[in-house]
Amino acid sequence: MPTAPASFLDPALLARISDLALLARTVVDGFMHGQHRSMRKGSSTDFAQHRAYQPGDDLRRIDWRLLGRTDRFYMKEFEADTNASVIFALDSSASMDYGSHGVTKYDYGRFLIASLAWLSQQQGDRVGLATFTGDIVDVVPPSARHLQLLLHTLARSKATGAGTLATPVQRLAHMTRRAGITVLVTDCYESPEELGRSADALRMRGQDLIIFHVVDAAERDFPFTAAATFEDSESKTRIAVRPDDLRKRYLEQSKTHFAAVAKRFAASGADYVRVDTDQPLDRALHAYLDRRLARSRVR
Amino acid sequence: MGFLVPAFLAGFAAVVVPIVLHLRHRDKDTPHRFPSLMFVERLPIRTAQRRRITDWPLLLLRALAIVLLVLAFARPLWSRPGVTHASVSDRTVIVLLDRSMSMGHRGVWERAVNEARRAIAGLGATDRVALVLFDDEAYVAQPLTTDKGLALAALANAKPGAAGTRYAAGLRTARQIAADARTGLAPVDVVLVTDMQRSGLAGLAGLEIPATMRVRTVGLSSSATSRPNASVAVTEARPITGGAREQLAVTAHVTSRSASVARPMTVMLRLNGRPSGTRMLSVNAAGDTKVAFDPVPIPAGLVRGEVTIDADSLAADDTTRFTLTSNDEVRVLLVAPDDAERDETLYIERALAVGRAPSVRLQRVRPSAIDADELRDVALVLLWDAPPPSGSAGEALRAWTTRGGGLVQLAGRRLARRSSTAAILPASIENYADRSDDRGGSLGDVRIDHPLLAPFRETPAALVAPRFLRHARLEPANGGEIVARFDDGSAAIIERTEGTGRVIELGMPLDARAGDFPLQPAYLPFVRRLVLYATGRAATPLARTTGESWVLPAAAREPVVSTPDGSIVRPARDSRAASVPLRESGIYVLHDGQTRSAPVAELAVNTPPAESDLSAISEAELLAGVRRGDASAMTSDTPPAPAEIERRQGLWRIVIGVLALLLLLEMLMASRGWRGVANPLTTVPSSGDGS
Repeated sequence: MPTAPASFLDPALLARISDLALLARTVVDGFMHGQHRSMRKGSSTDFAQHRAYQPGDDLRRIDWRLLGRTDRFYMKEFEADTNASVIFALDSSASMDYGSHGVTKYDYGRFLIASLAWLSQQQGDRVGLATFTGDIVDVVPPSARHLQLLLHTLARSKATGAGTLATPVQRLAHMTRRAGITVLVTDCYESPEELGRSADALRMRGQDLIIFHVVDAAERDFPFTAAATFEDSESKTRIAVRPDDLRKRYLEQSKTHFAAVAKRFAASGADYVRVDTDQPLDRALHAYLDRRLARSRVR
Repeated sequence: MGFLVPAFLAGFAAVVVPIVLHLRHRDKDTPHRFPSLMFVERLPIRTAQRRRITDWPLLLLRALAIVLLVLAFARPLWSRPGVTHASVSDRTVIVLLDRSMSMGHRGVWERAVNEARRAIAGLGATDRVALVLFDDEAYVAQPLTTDKGLALAALANAKPGAAGTRYAAGLRTARQIAADARTGLAPVDVVLVTDMQRSGLAGLAGLEIPATMRVRTVGLSSSATSRPNASVAVTEARPITGGAREQLAVTAHVTSRSASVARPMTVMLRLNGRPSGTRMLSVNAAGDTKVAFDPVPIPAGLVRGEVTIDADSLAADDTTRFTLTSNDEVRVLLVAPDDAERDETLYIERALAVGRAPSVRLQRVRPSAIDADELRDVALVLLWDAPPPSGSAGEALRAWTTRGGGLVQLAGRRLARRSSTAAILPASIENYADRSDDRGGSLGDVRIDHPLLAPFRETPAALVAPRFLRHARLEPANGGEIVARFDDGSAAIIERTEGTGRVIELGMPLDARAGDFPLQPAYLPFVRRLVLYATGRAATPLARTTGESWVLPAAAREPVVSTPDGSIVRPARDSRAASVPLRESGIYVLHDGQTRSAPVAELAVNTPPAESDLSAISEAELLAGVRRGDASAMTSDTPPAPAEIERRQGLWRIVIGVLALLLLLEMLMASRGWRGVANPLTTVPSSGDGS
């Protein structure tokens, strides 16, 4: 019985897989299996090999000469362009360590980065990692051979402490020496202006910026009913709250914030993707691939 | 509103406890981790939500529970100042008027009525009053009413009686009236109008009256001025045989109390209304003086005797009466077998010859002598180891028994040899046991509550003392019931009824050959009681006293009793007998069917001797034995003690009940709804090692 591709991307299901490499491969293979066209097309001018045509292949890559000789369709494959370096920046502040539906935002971010890194590796990109809270915590420089190191670093990282985006992003911008892609996974608990300034810093370095705004369902819906003391994960501030009285205004606040953040990132030329942890990963993967495709060059 | 233990009110400070707990509750509660409170902090109601006390209803409920608990411990009481004083308009007064015989002392009753009238007349228009007359019993002459005219009318109809004094009866009735009136904490004034006679204290010790009942005695006499009084009582009226005609010897005692000097006195005896003797004597100042009248010929039939002394201030006890029947005897046929020796029945004959009122006239006959004519005046047939006659004589015996005759069969060795059992007898004889080897048997299991054994209720050991070397072993038959058993389990006495007569089978020997029963103290009362019980008779005293009851003899099938005051009483007969309460002094006459018929029995009733003792006590002494409060507290206007008020109200129980409801409500509120949901949304624990 065939399995629906989306089920491979269910965060709750993925949370049962402890090996991030296996997880990433599962996600990517499942995701790619669901696509009806090959996404792995070469982008350089160095011929590599022929292969049989598959439905969905770009017709421009058909070797017409070989078709004339053999009366069969063969695709010309070229060496992939490995110039693109992708840095995944993961917000490791304590606010990410929250989940109301079986998977925390931090886990979701790790799954996402692992999958994207695996996918990028398949595309021939150099992949790197930076985790940050108030400052950068772990760094894996971009390299075509750093995927396992990235996954290992990602697996042992923890979400803890208070975090801000400005300082680590500025330092990250200084670390990137050539143009590339920066994938920022965060929960955006800062003012839209602060976030926008951080995005501007990266964009000025020539980085294409994709921001995945991870939102938990409880943050989105505020479904609580019982009066309780709420504690801020980072500042440890406690506030006695009666949710029934606050919900409407909370939702208005959060909606306004999300809209302002999206607007500000758009103004910075960054791609803003909001991902909910109760949703499959495919939306994020689509957004990344679209962005990655737009950047691709065929030599 | 007051409190019995106001010190407990300091416990109100404990209200702080739930407040503090509510204030600290959120701090101690496991906080709900949330990624960021950025949005919440921006909200304008943030300050309000930060209030520590977030559940005011629950806090108020808990604080109220503590307040109620403290109130319950402080023992609240509700006392309206107005009802604790006698000056309030709605008073409740119960007048207890002593109407005992001693109140008939010259001038005492008039003073008593005046005092009672004054107590009633002094009440306000809205005050309630009740009138209770008491002697050795209490009678509510007028229930509580605001109509003083009714109470005065009831007082006017009252008169002293012939019974003794018992204060406890009056006070109990007053207590019941007060309870029925539901006066609550309002005081009830009891005005006790009495001559303070010491003899009326019986039953007063330990009597409990409520603290709200204030007893005020209106003493008509005092111990300092004891009233002299002389009374007379007949101690013996003995028929004696002298000359050709039976005579009666009467002995009386004159008792003088509190007289200063000896005084001459005339004592007169009347029989059936005729003067039958007079004695002049000097009565001692204090003490008894015996008066023995010369024997006089005894009139035939029922005899009413009367002894009077010179009238003094209390006339009711100057006359004493007695009754007797000149030919009051029970005729018993002793049916002995032909081979019975004379000394075999010697003890039973001698024993039954003793005793009077009634006396027993025993006639020894052979079994063949029984017939209807012979049974005509017989009250009891005693078959001495002989069977009941058969044939027409047996039928006559059975008919006679059915009409009320008594039949006793003594089972001995002769009857043990016979196998048949007459249908009239309650037992069959199994065998004749010889128990000389084990030094004889004895009675082992006796129904000491049976009327036949009534003389031995106080000394049941006397019944088991006799040893029986040989005795018959009986087995119940024809519906017979076992009254006593031997120590080996075999029946010793079996009884059954035949019509209105009684049939008794004795397995125990009544002669000295087969045992030592005739030599034992129990023998004489046993055989006399056997005769009286089997014949349905009872010993008749010369007189009884007021306050007692007369158990009417069974001879009257439809008893009608005429009392000394001329009224007619038709007592109802219960399962055992009919009885008449004796309230008046004089002669009670029992008729059968109607009063015009010949008297069946007469009974003389005199006043209680103790009532003639007019020595008085003080008010404090009278109330000393009454529980709950001393006499001074009850005789003054002191309001009831707060402890008593609190105990009667029991408000703390109501408070505890409300508290329990509150706690139940608190439990429901705290466990239901949103309060009962501790964590409606489960958060995922920290990621730990990142797996």
